[in-house]
Amino acid sequence: MAEPITFTIDDQLITAQPDQTIIQAAMDAGLYIPYLCYMPKMEPYGACRMCVVETEMNGRTMVQASCTTPVANDMVVRTKTQDIESLRYDIMDLLMTEHPHGCLTCHRIELCGPQDICLRHVRVTDRCTICPKNERCELKDTVRSMELDLTSPMEYHFRDLPRHVDDPFYDRDYNLCIVCVRCVRVCEEVRFDTALTLTSRSGTALVGTSHGTSLLESGCEFCGACIDVCPTGALVERDYKWEKAETKVKSICANCPVGCQVVMEVNKRNKAIRFIGDLAGEANNGQLCFKGKFASDYPNKPGRYRYPMMRVDGELQRTTWEQAFEAAAEGLKKRSPGEVAVIGSPRGTNEDNYVAGKLARAVLGTNNIDSALNLRPELTEGLLETIGYAAATNSIWELERARCVLVLSGNPTEEQNVLAVPVKKAARGGAKIVVIDARETELTRYADHWLRPQPGTEVTLIGGLIRVVVDEALEDKEFVNERCDGLQELKQELWDFDLVRVSAITGVPEDQIRLAARAYGASNPAAILYGFDSVPLTERVDLTKAVANLALLTGNIGRDGGGIFPLFTGANTQGANDVGCNPRFLPGYVSVEDSAGRAVIERAWSAKIPSSPGKSSAEIFEAMANGEIKAAVLMADGLAPDQHGLGDLPAALEKLEFLVVMDVFPNELSHHADVIFPAASFAEVSGTFTNLERRVQLLAQGMELRYEERPGWAALAGLAKALGGSGFDYESASDVFAEIASVAEAYGGLSHERLAEGGVQWPCPSADSPGTGTLHATADERFRPRFTPMSIRESLGVHVEDYPFTLAHGRVLHEPNRVVDVESRDGLNYIVRDEYVQLHADDAADLGIAEGDMVEIRAEPLPGGETPVFTGFVRFTSPHQGLVCITTLFGELASALQATEEPDGAPGVPGLPLRNVVVSKIAVPVAAGAATAGS
Amino acid sequence: MATAAPDSGDEIRDRIRNVLQGQKQDTVTVLSSLLNVQDELHYLPDEAIEETAAFVKSTINEVWSVASFYTNFRFTPPGDHTLEVCWGPSCHVMGAQKILKSVQEELGISREGETEDGKVTLEYNTCLGACAQAPVIAVDHIHMGRITPQHATSIARELQSR
Repeated sequence: MAEPITFTIDDQLITAQPDQTIIQAAMDAGLYIPYLCYMPKMEPYGACRMCVVETEMNGRTMVQASCTTPVANDMVVRTKTQDIESLRYDIMDLLMTEHPHGCLTCHRIELCGPQDICLRHVRVTDRCTICPKNERCELKDTVRSMELDLTSPMEYHFRDLPRHVDDPFYDRDYNLCIVCVRCVRVCEEVRFDTALTLTSRSGTALVGTSHGTSLLESGCEFCGACIDVCPTGALVERDYKWEKAETKVKSICANCPVGCQVVMEVNKRNKAIRFIGDLAGEANNGQLCFKGKFASDYPNKPGRYRYPMMRVDGELQRTTWEQAFEAAAEGLKKRSPGEVAVIGSPRGTNEDNYVAGKLARAVLGTNNIDSALNLRPELTEGLLETIGYAAATNSIWELERARCVLVLSGNPTEEQNVLAVPVKKAARGGAKIVVIDARETELTRYADHWLRPQPGTEVTLIGGLIRVVVDEALEDKEFVNERCDGLQELKQELWDFDLVRVSAITGVPEDQIRLAARAYGASNPAAILYGFDSVPLTERVDLTKAVANLALLTGNIGRDGGGIFPLFTGANTQGANDVGCNPRFLPGYVSVEDSAGRAVIERAWSAKIPSSPGKSSAEIFEAMANGEIKAAVLMADGLAPDQHGLGDLPAALEKLEFLVVMDVFPNELSHHADVIFPAASFAEVSGTFTNLERRVQLLAQGMELRYEERPGWAALAGLAKALGGSGFDYESASDVFAEIASVAEAYGGLSHERLAEGGVQWPCPSADSPGTGTLHATADERFRPRFTPMSIRESLGVHVEDYPFTLAHGRVLHEPNRVVDVESRDGLNYIVRDEYVQLHADDAADLGIAEGDMVEIRAEPLPGGETPVFTGFVRFTSPHQGLVCITTLFGELASALQATEEPDGAPGVPGLPLRNVVVSKIAVPVAAGAATAGS
Repeated sequence: MATAAPDSGDEIRDRIRNVLQGQKQDTVTVLSSLLNVQDELHYLPDEAIEETAAFVKSTINEVWSVASFYTNFRFTPPGDHTLEVCWGPSCHVMGAQKILKSVQEELGISREGETEDGKVTLEYNTCLGACAQAPVIAVDHIHMGRITPQHATSIARELQSR
């Protein structure tokens, strides 16, 4: 590290790093210099000049902006001289000439209550109460902390611009803007979207979108980053915009496995009103996404379960917890262990999931226990045999240092949004991006190489990449020889992966395979993000192992900025697996078949644990439908009845003889319940989530429980006791966590007290271990990575008889040269656009379709009975026969989420699964407005 | 919505795409693209921003921030004829204000811009570079010096009837 710099600010000696600016050094030292356009974690900009200070160096005295001036040895900085103060006053005075300023200048500021209506002191357009950020505005805080005694400016110009209140989630009022440009900068520098821009210049410069278009067409991903940085009321969340926070707590977002740290604001009526990305968050660096920012308020919604209920004479009736436990125990006891199952919620804390696992195994005697959204367990479990850990190997923000990122069959910008932010940052910094996906997704915009294999041939394609790496000697020989086993066996199998053959099977040209392999193999470090969105069940374990082979071969395991990241869903799917809410593993990934390991946990629990693996969540849902499983406990918070991958879950639940549901809201999943436990939501519990980089993080309770809702662990422990189980006398979530730490080695050094100071990445076996950011960073004594032999396979070509085509539906933020109309309905904007359908010319010839014809794509009916239909104009650009592709705009998703009537909208946000479809030519509708595509 | 394939037969987009793809210089930038489009169309419609964004693999917002910065770009169609009135110091001293007033009265507008019928665009010019001839106006970029208010009025009238 470079030599530190010492200098003085207002006679106080400061030590700073050489690359810091004066304001950064002052902030680190706890000193305040007023600023407006500066923002931590963003590049200095120097627009507002509010942070001016007097500097003296080598006998020269200057007035400089402290946000852009680097620190230097022996510099003397003065922030409070009379000149500086008068300069700041003038700057604020100028700024106010275009900002409604009643809230800054009115002589009654100290006298008025926040809700008082002002009648005569300030004119209507300038009143403090017309601003949604009144009383919580950074501009006003700045003025107050400087103790500026402002008066109305002589020349005040009200811009009188129209307010933008019809886009999803955002209200924009540029009359309140002070042109600090933070929103534009965060959108460009941090999120890389450039959905906002600085328009015009000098006196008329203002932020906004290109010619004032809707955010729906400007490439906005609705992450809310611009709202979080706006120092005025110009950008606000529409929901709860007039609400004031009473308390603020640090919590964890419960919508996806990134585990973003949020500051949750709760008002005095016990509602969670705002979610702001925590700048200190290690997992998210202050960023959130459309779900976390705008769809986390579901605990506030009316209609929640307040009391336990049980079915009496066919009707659900309110009851007490004791009676509910008894009724539930009664119903479960009647069935044999093989006939019951326990399913954990994707939003269940580690504590909930641990108790669920213990209840299933120690009390109900079954291994039929899984987390509901652990639908693709092969993503992580496939790594146990190759890497030794069933989790991502590296940390999320290491990705910004990757020189190449390979994204395989996953869509992180929508499903694990903030994970894509460092990927885009790496791309902006020149890293190569390789996307392997038939669908066009947001990351294909950044891709240097976009490979579109025939869906289902991914294993063969990865084999082809490995073959090129070996052929061109791009492997990391030292790492492979010293740290891994099994290369020879792999190399023998590689003879089959002849590029001509690989290319024929996957449909990807040889050159593209070579270029992609070189991009990945020759970059150091290089990371892989992989999902299973297009991967059939039979290929999944092999694909995970193939990905591990590729990463090991190039030495990208244990390397900072490299690694592999499985793209699963569910906020705490990782944690659920870690703590044994899994049919095959006990807490700490002890296999249920491992008798020695099992014995240790049996001793801790004082109970017998069945030794054969149970059913996974997908298998449980199937067994419910065919009557094999007769009774179940379902933790349903965070599940939508029609969620993709769950099959027809409501119908399966209906078949059950006995069902206990723990949920926040009534919905189709709880209609058939015999007993209902009212659930506390993530905002109302204390507990831990583990995110996809293995970071165990503490949720703080922000909202009070008003009625009889209980956290999951407490309800399940009560049920266990009613069933006669022992060892469930927990007083708090912290107690449960202490027990987890005692049985799961990787969690051994953790406790709620320790996590209150910040998340820790497992393995953290002891209290003095700092946790592990990068697995295998040094030779791991516990596990030696090994290669897995691979076999080439022909294309599966599985098509359902009546649905001969596969639809690869993609979604992007921005397609500038396509005609987009924005239509307003009920005061909200919606996208209306004609779509293109990509069809292969040979298929089109068979169907008698010409380029430019309009076709209808009709998909196989969904489990719920609905049939997705898409229409569009044909282009012959599909990469493969049998594959049709369409690309729609992300804005449609945002509009739908804004307009949804579901109290908990986030789980219902549709993903982009492959669908079996039939394509038919239809007549172009003659009437204007009839061709609404993609609906 | 359209009743034919999107974008097909969209004449203005075709013209813009031709201009963008026809750029011969070594370095093609946002600015060069916009300038070339404006040379072709004499203004930048929304389609120009969108097509340029797609052409340089950028976003409409980035292109707009460049376009809106330069006062030389215009975003509405110009009139059939331009009438520039110099209001530089020399012309000012020699009575440019009177010229301007008579022209505006004749055209029925009170500031820069197009007449209601779109026939004439009036522009203020800070110096047309012919101070010895002050006051100066330019009709469709052709200079005319030593103009009197009466003469200016008749020129404006004639332009409107052309």
